[in-house]
Amino acid sequence: MDQSPPTALGERVRRAQRGDDDALRELIVGYQHRVAGFVFAMTNRSDVVEDLCQQVFIKMVRAIERLQAPEQFESWLFRLARNTCIDHLRRMKLRRIFTPFAPEHENVPEPDGAVDSEELDALRHALAQVRPQDRALLALVQEGRSHAEIAVTLGTSVAAVKARLHRAREQLRQHYQPPHEN
Amino acid sequence: MKTESLAWARLQQQAAAQLHPGFADRVIRAARAGAGVAPQFLRPFAVCAAMATLGLLAVSFYRVRASTEENARNLAGWQEIAAQADELDQTL
Repeated sequence: MDQSPPTALGERVRRAQRGDDDALRELIVGYQHRVAGFVFAMTNRSDVVEDLCQQVFIKMVRAIERLQAPEQFESWLFRLARNTCIDHLRRMKLRRIFTPFAPEHENVPEPDGAVDSEELDALRHALAQVRPQDRALLALVQEGRSHAEIAVTLGTSVAAVKARLHRAREQLRQHYQPPHEN
Repeated sequence: MKTESLAWARLQQQAAAQLHPGFADRVIRAARAGAGVAPQFLRPFAVCAAMATLGLLAVSFYRVRASTEENARNLAGWQEIAAQADELDQTL
């Protein structure tokens, strides 16, 4: 996890903007696990995590020189991740409309070993009941982002973030059944 | 909710485990290799545009050819009429 102070992060981003591959690598290594967690929470599938993370970071590498405020790199990166996940979910929805799926293809199970704990299984079940945009909110809160940062990432107001977060938490709580309660 | 926090932590671990070693290098290579290549979502549009262009070319080629042939036929008809008129003038 990248815990570097904001100024160090800003400097690293500026180096990356000048085309320094080492800085780019440091940024990717510093954020890859956090972005992976965010992507997993948003898509609720582990088998698309690497592919989508790759798309997110490729977009990051190609667009970083256009980032105006290097200090807002994190919000910008998570916005890229959110948009990539939403595009993916839209594509999947369209594919389901245009592809004649058989009933057994509707809920493709996770690959073997993908879900290795009951807690995670329960959380995934609960997340599946929440809208993807709200899953993004919950994942960002788990990331330790403040309401203001989340508002910047999602391009909305702090008040809207608070209201949506309250609703998303309620929904998650409603559907989350810890393993010992089963 | 302690178990929920534990579940989020597991989700994070599970997600991190999906990234294979050398992920950063692969990303940088792919980003550099694909710079300038049209994004994947544009490919179907490019194929559609190419097909539409081919279709338009085929239609305009057919129309030009049909119109040239019709002009040639009309010209031949008028030439024949003009020749008959000349012949008639001479006989009168």
